[in-house]
Amino acid sequence: MNLISKTSPSVGASQARPDALNKVMGHEKFAADYYGPRHLWAGAKRAGIPHGRLISVSTEAAAQVPGVKKILTYTDVKGSNRQGVIQKDQPVLVDDRIRHCGDALALVIAETSQALEAALALISFEYEALPGIFTVAEALKDGAPLIHPAHPGGNCLLSGQLVSGKGLEAFEECDAVVEYAVDLPRQEHAYLETECGEAVYEKGELSIVVSTQTPFRDRAETAQAIGISPEKLRIIAPYCGGGFGGKDGITVQSLLGLAAMACPDIPVKMMWSREESFLSSPKRHAASIHYRLGAKQNGVFHALEVRADFDTGPYDHLGGAVLGLALEHAGGPYRIPHAAIQGRAVYTNNTIGGAFRGFGVPQVAAAMEQAVDLMAEKLSLAPLDIRMKNAVQKGDKIPSGTTLKTSTGIRECLARLKAHPLYQEADAWKKKAPAHMLRGTGMACALHGMGYGPFVPDTAIAKLELTKQGRFRIYFGVVDMGQGNGVTFLQMAGDLLNQNYENLELVLPDTGLTLPCGSASASRSTYTFGNALIQAVETMKIRLTQKAADSLMVGDGDEFCFIPGHLRHLPTGREFPLAQLAALLSQEERITISRYRAPASKETVTKDTALQMHGIPHTVFSYTAHLAHVEIDTLTGGITVCNYAAVTDCGRLINPDLYRQQMQGGIAQGLGYALYEDFITDKGRLLTANLSTYIIPGALDIPPMALSSVDLQENTGPFGMKGVGEICIDPVLPAVANAVADACGGGRCRQWPLTCERMLEILTIPVCPPGADMNRSLI
Amino acid sequence: MPAVTLPRTLDELLDLKAQGHAILAGGTDLFVHMRNKKIQPRTLVCLDQLKDKGLREVADTGDEICIGAAATHTQLIQNPLVQQHFPVLIQALNTLGSPQIRNMGTLGGNIMTASPAGDSLPPLYVLDAQVELAGKKGSRRMPLSRFITGPGSTGLNPEEILYRVRIPKQPSYDLHHFEKVGHRKSLSIAILSMAALIGLTGDKKIRAVRLAWGSLGKTIVTSPETEKLLMGTPMDDPAGFILAAARIREEVSPISDVRAGAGYRRQVAGNLVLRLCQGPLKQDPLKQGPGAV
Amino acid sequence: MKLSFTLNHKALTLETDPDRRVIDLLREDLCLTGTKEACGEGECGACTIRVNKELRLACLMIAAQIEGCFIETIEGLAGPDQALHPVQEAFVQAGAVQCGFCTPGMVMAVTDLLETIPNPDDTRIRKALSGNLCRCTGYQKIMDAARLAAKKENKCLP
Repeated sequence: MNLISKTSPSVGASQARPDALNKVMGHEKFAADYYGPRHLWAGAKRAGIPHGRLISVSTEAAAQVPGVKKILTYTDVKGSNRQGVIQKDQPVLVDDRIRHCGDALALVIAETSQALEAALALISFEYEALPGIFTVAEALKDGAPLIHPAHPGGNCLLSGQLVSGKGLEAFEECDAVVEYAVDLPRQEHAYLETECGEAVYEKGELSIVVSTQTPFRDRAETAQAIGISPEKLRIIAPYCGGGFGGKDGITVQSLLGLAAMACPDIPVKMMWSREESFLSSPKRHAASIHYRLGAKQNGVFHALEVRADFDTGPYDHLGGAVLGLALEHAGGPYRIPHAAIQGRAVYTNNTIGGAFRGFGVPQVAAAMEQAVDLMAEKLSLAPLDIRMKNAVQKGDKIPSGTTLKTSTGIRECLARLKAHPLYQEADAWKKKAPAHMLRGTGMACALHGMGYGPFVPDTAIAKLELTKQGRFRIYFGVVDMGQGNGVTFLQMAGDLLNQNYENLELVLPDTGLTLPCGSASASRSTYTFGNALIQAVETMKIRLTQKAADSLMVGDGDEFCFIPGHLRHLPTGREFPLAQLAALLSQEERITISRYRAPASKETVTKDTALQMHGIPHTVFSYTAHLAHVEIDTLTGGITVCNYAAVTDCGRLINPDLYRQQMQGGIAQGLGYALYEDFITDKGRLLTANLSTYIIPGALDIPPMALSSVDLQENTGPFGMKGVGEICIDPVLPAVANAVADACGGGRCRQWPLTCERMLEILTIPVCPPGADMNRSLI
Repeated sequence: MPAVTLPRTLDELLDLKAQGHAILAGGTDLFVHMRNKKIQPRTLVCLDQLKDKGLREVADTGDEICIGAAATHTQLIQNPLVQQHFPVLIQALNTLGSPQIRNMGTLGGNIMTASPAGDSLPPLYVLDAQVELAGKKGSRRMPLSRFITGPGSTGLNPEEILYRVRIPKQPSYDLHHFEKVGHRKSLSIAILSMAALIGLTGDKKIRAVRLAWGSLGKTIVTSPETEKLLMGTPMDDPAGFILAAARIREEVSPISDVRAGAGYRRQVAGNLVLRLCQGPLKQDPLKQGPGAV
Repeated sequence: MKLSFTLNHKALTLETDPDRRVIDLLREDLCLTGTKEACGEGECGACTIRVNKELRLACLMIAAQIEGCFIETIEGLAGPDQALHPVQEAFVQAGAVQCGFCTPGMVMAVTDLLETIPNPDDTRIRKALSGNLCRCTGYQKIMDAARLAAKKENKCLP
């Protein structure tokens, strides 16, 4: 506490995070860490089959296990038994159809984890096997079995098309055309804290502590699913041990609620094993994407065709929103006057496709940025120069049709990257490749729109209290899952109120204490809550200074200024302790509440209301340009990323250290997506079921990173900032891909991740000579 | 829920083993196998209270170094005798697991797990290691290469324990080399690995060589024919290495699994031999077709 | 079985099942939830503790194995009145903590490293961290924290 308490928060400064103190001591209580003196354990029986009609569940043998208290099935669910962010199509406990291996069939509550495990092993079920659908092609075939028979689109959850200018006709006007197709894998979030929580039902009230990104939405969703009034359900969200989108939606909440209500007056704990987390939680959508890019001889982009299929798995779970964001971002941060962009999110019996940092943009950027490099090569232009030639400025439209009306810093990012030593000295570095190694450098760009789009309200309500002790307490309802929005809010409030950290408190998201603030997702949590907080602080300042003025019988609140712990009356120098001021105020007067709604675009980019509802268009965008240096071992195909640079426009930085934290973490996850993380299933069953077969990068695998921010002011953002949480991961895969192509004379990978095996195959297949039309070697 | 016993003497351990119980040494494989339900032992015999020197320590007997089966990988990495005589084993152990796993896992455990991907195994094969098995009725020795019979299978009789590993000193080899190919640089099961010992003449030609590959077959793979092709080769002349690489590729029938395909393993088994060559391969790496080099 | 061992410099005796995982003993029975479980199979390092001054994984140990041992968990690093250990201080100052779930294991790994190698180079630091997975940081600032901690601890040396 001494490290930080006397520090004066200052927006723009790299200040240490107060939450780090408890975390380094092992004292911070995550949802995983709630153990009562007495508690029960709850666990779900998972289907283990990808598609079937449930006939019956046998729980008698399991119920005999000593220590088992209750076993629940769908007949015990009083509510709708359906959950989902957009469509409520996912059962809490299966009542008719099993649609993926991770579906929950029964819920066991037991006294010990050993009894729980023993009981789960004894639960069996009868089912009628239904033909499984494991590819988009199978799902869309004529006569394919329907995963949701009532869904109007058949096995297509959502499809959409964005056409601008002359669409496909414009290809006839192009001097050069390149094509690129890619298959992108699922990606597992692999947060260190698995899905977990603890619930207790006492005196008709249900309270759930849970590792989640969305406490308020969870309350509404779980309440209707399990049959309790939302006012009787309290969701508490401690610091979350990693989210990245995987906890953007119901995980343990409904199951825990059911368990607690079945065994009242004693806490019930649920913690998914790593294997259960792999099996049951959503993943980044696997996607098959095909691009055609056309340009004029001088390098100006002219036409774009995109066809993208996303495997959304068995349930909606934000799949439509992922598709929407992908379509909107498909053309990257470039002017392309004619475009035909279409895509589909398709149901299968594979793992659930859901939210994961980037949310569809990594997939389209993976293809777009490689198409750009192919065009650069075709026209003999440097990759950075062709990007600069086509990069958008404020007022331009991106190819999907959205007009950029807010800060647009991609050109600044490219210019800064061009000047960077890693770019300037790339050739010299490449020439020094050791024996058996090939070296290459490659770049990629991206843009990323914040928030929820034009219709879904992106709001937050900040509550600020002057406590009786004279400290300022910030109630924030948008979860801190490591991105540090907690300390950001302290910095903002502390800066405006001129208070030291010791005089500031945070109340973490809790539906019983804080107010609704939307999800910790979509790169919007700091932007939206920050703006609400600034409003609440301003109201508080006026109220307090006026009260001080009244109390001293001087004219004006303006005569006062805030100093740590006090108000000072400037004409007289008299200092008013805040605790003393607090004593003069009623509780209502000590609290200010302010709601902020993020700007929603009024532009009509598409008339398709489904696409509009799923987020098109966005309003505020962040930008980034990345450069990767790679070394390929020609004997094993092993790829080492030796160095990495990224320049980002995410507005002004509230805390440069936090910005670097986001960038470094996002780039590392992007490198995992590109090189390491092969999520393998076979007919819906997981072959990579845990962390020993699904490889996330370790400390020896991640390069040093040179990071730079162009610090443009975003006028709508609190202190000029905008989101950085997702832009950091978006272009990493294609930066690596372009570097690899540079290293090995144009070899490109079709099936990602680029494992050593796939790299070696690329190296041993002859590449088309430069200048040849169409496809490069694609594996 | 298995019972746990903690023998204090070698005799007690041998008694318990004779009753057919599972041994808990480092636990880094055992507990993972139990978690995956591969084995469900009713009793665990924990070695933590057993202070037998032979089982835990490294000793120099003159011609050989004896390594106790319960010596941890970290102990071996830090041991001056192992450092001096068996650099190839040190190199391999440094790639095994993680620092924590090396502190816990034992050489004996790595051998008894008998995974074709076991990191200690290729070095032990090229070093001609022998295992010393102890039972109530006495002890016996055999080459490690005969002891491991298949994935997870050894020639251990039910009442025996693996007591020590005995490795002859190897003064005639100048170069010790180990390479492991994994999906990441730590905490990685070998997709493929190779250990090599090379003895050189005064003018840097190969006069003696031993090679062994991991994750290439059901057990560690050795190839006298491949070694023959390297004899007499100057270290900087690729010709002999290229022939040797082709030979091992012809000989092996690797498996495909979730980590890699058979074709990759076959190709890289040869490529790892190429790595030994200290001169340029004199080939455009992009022109290497499958089996061409 | 009855177990006697030293935990964070205090002698302790308790009764437990010999096959109880050490991680469960620490978290559930002794309420020391700083040591985390994130995989249960030794792949992630979140459960890293020190046993007899050696880094080990609590998810792959059973109670019977800690009889007579000197056990250190993250909770034992800070001094009285929560005075942070130099490594803990360095993690805070270097911005090496994001979600914080991997942090206890990382702090234990760095503390162990600096006790044996006071001035490690970057390669040595990475190797020391190679048994601990992190999903938030990309390891950069954890490296920074290790370097900073080494500087702090070496301040008194000439």
